[in-house]
Amino acid sequence: MSSPTRRDILRAAAVLAAAGTLGACGKSDEDEAGGVVTVDLWHGQTDTGKAAIDALIKEFNRTHPNIKVEGGGGGVTADSMLQKVTAGLAAGSFPDIAYIFGSDLASMTRSPQVADLTSALGDRLKDYWPAAKDAVTVKDKIRAAPALLDSLCLVYNKKLFAAAGLPLPKAGWTWDEFVTTAQKLANPAKGIFGTGWPGVGDEDTVWRLWPMIWDLGGDVVSEDGKTVAFDKVGEQALGTLDRLRTDKSLYVDPKPGGEQLYQVFLGGRMGMVATGPWELPDVIDAGLEYGVAPLPSYSGKPVTISGPDTWTVFDNGSARVKAATEFVTWLMEPKQDVRWDLEGGSLPLSTTTAAMPEWKKHAASTTGLQVFVDALQTARVRPTIAAYPQISEHLGEAIVAVLLGKKSPADALKECVDQSNAVLAVPN
Amino acid sequence: MKTKSLPFSPWHLVLAPLAILFALPLLWLLVSSVMSNAEINRFPPALIPAGINLDGYRFVLGNALFPRWFVNSLIVSSVAVTANLVLGSLGGYAFARMRFAGSKLLLGLMLATMVIPFQLTMIPTFLVMKELGLIDTLGALIIPSLVTPFSVFLFRQFFVSLPRELEEAAWLDGCGRLRILISVVLPLARPALSTVAVLTFLSTWNDLTWPLIAINHDTNYTLQLGLTTFQGQHHTQWAAVMAGNVITVLPVLLGFLLAQKAFIRSLASTGLKG
Amino acid sequence: MASVVGTFTLDPRARKAAAKRRTRGEGATAWAFVSPSVLIILGLSVIPVLWSLLLSFQANDLVSPSRWVGLANYKALAADPAFASAVQHTLVYTALYVPLSVVGGLAIALMLDRPIRLISLYRTLVFVPFVVSAAAQGVLFSFVLDPEFGAANSVLHALGLPAQGFFSDPGQALYLLVAISLWSGTGFCVIVYLAALQGVPDELVEAARIDGAGRAGVLRHVVLPTLTPVTIFLVLFQTINALQVFDLVFVTTKGGPLGSTTVIVYFIWEKAFKSFTAGYSAAAAYALAIALLVAGLALQLYQRRRTGKALR
Repeated sequence: MSSPTRRDILRAAAVLAAAGTLGACGKSDEDEAGGVVTVDLWHGQTDTGKAAIDALIKEFNRTHPNIKVEGGGGGVTADSMLQKVTAGLAAGSFPDIAYIFGSDLASMTRSPQVADLTSALGDRLKDYWPAAKDAVTVKDKIRAAPALLDSLCLVYNKKLFAAAGLPLPKAGWTWDEFVTTAQKLANPAKGIFGTGWPGVGDEDTVWRLWPMIWDLGGDVVSEDGKTVAFDKVGEQALGTLDRLRTDKSLYVDPKPGGEQLYQVFLGGRMGMVATGPWELPDVIDAGLEYGVAPLPSYSGKPVTISGPDTWTVFDNGSARVKAATEFVTWLMEPKQDVRWDLEGGSLPLSTTTAAMPEWKKHAASTTGLQVFVDALQTARVRPTIAAYPQISEHLGEAIVAVLLGKKSPADALKECVDQSNAVLAVPN
Repeated sequence: MKTKSLPFSPWHLVLAPLAILFALPLLWLLVSSVMSNAEINRFPPALIPAGINLDGYRFVLGNALFPRWFVNSLIVSSVAVTANLVLGSLGGYAFARMRFAGSKLLLGLMLATMVIPFQLTMIPTFLVMKELGLIDTLGALIIPSLVTPFSVFLFRQFFVSLPRELEEAAWLDGCGRLRILISVVLPLARPALSTVAVLTFLSTWNDLTWPLIAINHDTNYTLQLGLTTFQGQHHTQWAAVMAGNVITVLPVLLGFLLAQKAFIRSLASTGLKG
Repeated sequence: MASVVGTFTLDPRARKAAAKRRTRGEGATAWAFVSPSVLIILGLSVIPVLWSLLLSFQANDLVSPSRWVGLANYKALAADPAFASAVQHTLVYTALYVPLSVVGGLAIALMLDRPIRLISLYRTLVFVPFVVSAAAQGVLFSFVLDPEFGAANSVLHALGLPAQGFFSDPGQALYLLVAISLWSGTGFCVIVYLAALQGVPDELVEAARIDGAGRAGVLRHVVLPTLTPVTIFLVLFQTINALQVFDLVFVTTKGGPLGSTTVIVYFIWEKAFKSFTAGYSAAAAYALAIALLVAGLALQLYQRRRTGKALR
């Protein structure tokens, strides 16, 4: 950034970008004058989530006459949101709030149009689970509001355990016990598997490995962010997967989307599977006798991963940013949060919400839901760095290579570490 | 000279299995669409449903916005088909029969525009539509599909393979080019017209990527875009998705079945015989 | 043709002279006919094509201010093994898909070109895979080809053959995609050929038969030559479609397993929307475009030299 010409170009570009956004929000001045500020919300929700957010929007509009939130879905479901918002940012036509996955937030913050919510939310978030707070913090600034919280725990099929005469999983169990249990549960002749793992190489394939890495003392990246921190312990984690493969107790899901994995479980052909609270409604629907236990670990100490999603606010003018911030702050309050959790399937964002009677009643009536909430205490999140998607891609390939038996854990890990370090070497 | 339809032809033995093989996806859709969610939601899926469960259809058809989505798709596709037939045949005829400076270059340029993949061009196209103020309207879907190099080139190739005699006769009689196109060439080109019509209809009816980028509000969704709202981040209502697919596919297949009438040898009646 | 038609009594030379006199004023009419199409197609493409070109010379993530880097993207592309494999996968896919779909489409169209009962139904059913969305077909094939539970491996097992990895096998996945594409893409060729077959003049078929030609002879000397312009069209379009395959890969394998089905356009999409390096992505698109244009020009020159006249 030393040469003046480059600074000038950047300044010109910033002016152009600003002009572009002003052009895009030409309405906002009128809104201010008229008194009602419109907030464009792309929530990407479907089915029960959509019903929940629609009801909340209606309530907000009723109680905040100066703001009108329009939640039209945005034309996308959450899966395609990143692509559409990116295209919108490139063309200068983007919403005020969008539902962005936590793992995409760091990439989104490349754009200067992502609002900085540190002043608005900094104090509030002290009350919330660390996972919720960490997921929306990029480079020590709060760049989004937490929207949805989950955690990864183990759901198991009681009937299959009983048929194999095995004791049920419980807190503090180890990966060794897990592997042996999976092998005993598996019955190839009947097409029954001990457990499963996505085999596509996408984020769903990768995020399940992090609790194992964290438990062994590793991390995604080192403190200074210059190298990966799973090079020493990664082999042991991949080794566990390799054992599951050679035991033939693992169902490797070849289809992107991770649904087939759960569908095998719902069909009663899988003994246990790591999943989030969102799967419980389908499990109950399928009529399975199930239980929930924390993930196993190497050390006996509990650790899991949480993959929060966020409400990211974009800058379409100060009036709209203010209104949008007010809306997401309102959504985070326990009174609204508990409604969203009950109807939309999230875990409570804060301990306050978790203590509310409505939530307690809901958790008590749903087997195993409280296990997910308790796991939040030891849940960590993926780092909010821009290089994460590429590191994840390389690790995903390594995992798939091991799952398909194409590479040994050591070789797969080495290649992944080398490629990831190369990515981190590029200055950001 | 027509061959009489034989009551039974040995070709049925070949064509019937072939047709069934190709029709498997449709069979799969039909069977899945009458299963309950719980039935489809397990893997491996049951091949024979326990009973006929119309929940999927009820969900799709009962959706308040479904008629709107259907009409939106119908509008976009019908306009696209009409425009492609008119503009494509005009352009194709000019390229096929008329000599004018730069015709080869022009045709080459139009075909060359297809070389950059849509995944990249959709952003600047979005920009153009934004400047025209068409984002989140059906116009953004219609304008880019009014005419494609595909239609123009297909018409050109069809016209090129028609015998010139009738056109030449009309030309010498003093008919203008437009009159020749409309009265002489197009009646012979009914198969070509049906083909372009069906293929254009299909590409706009089934398109998902562009509507996803260009449309924001759920009252402006096309049918395919609306159906994606049954597929959530973690939970898909499979019965509704399958029912939705059946509802999307059947009109097209029916249209195609009806369009078969145009696929008869029309040169028999050209008057080329003494 | 004159011997078949036989009714015109005008002197051919006079005919040609009269025709020439009128064609001299054709330019204006021709432009009137093509301008709507040209304006819309070229008009809407100018900005995207130029934008992509400029993008390929920048380090641009689409959401923040960009930096001019000249040919750096192209240089990096030449050294990128992932791009090289994407090109290789795409070429393999195209080399298999285009001839098989065109020839297969012709074969099926010939079979469907007969006035027997139920022929309309057969034609419609052959067209089904082309109509059903890629997503719906993805679900069906994921089930049929699942290594553990799929019908395909059950059939192989019953025949005593070993179970295959299908989409879990990096060596098989690409060929499976070709097969699935043929399933739906052949319908496209069938319908175009069917339409073109209606235009084969009965008189020529008659004449050939009278001259003693059998079915194969009629096919070779009458039908295929009449179909040549349409064959050119199909080869061209199927090639473009094959080189730009994306939806099927996105729905079934997402470029995997282990990158074995990453094709060029999937590479382009990933680099733009997952890695946020849209400039690099545009360079890849232009590398593909330039290669295509060079190939197209070479084909044109070769044809011109061969036939001595312009593309018919």
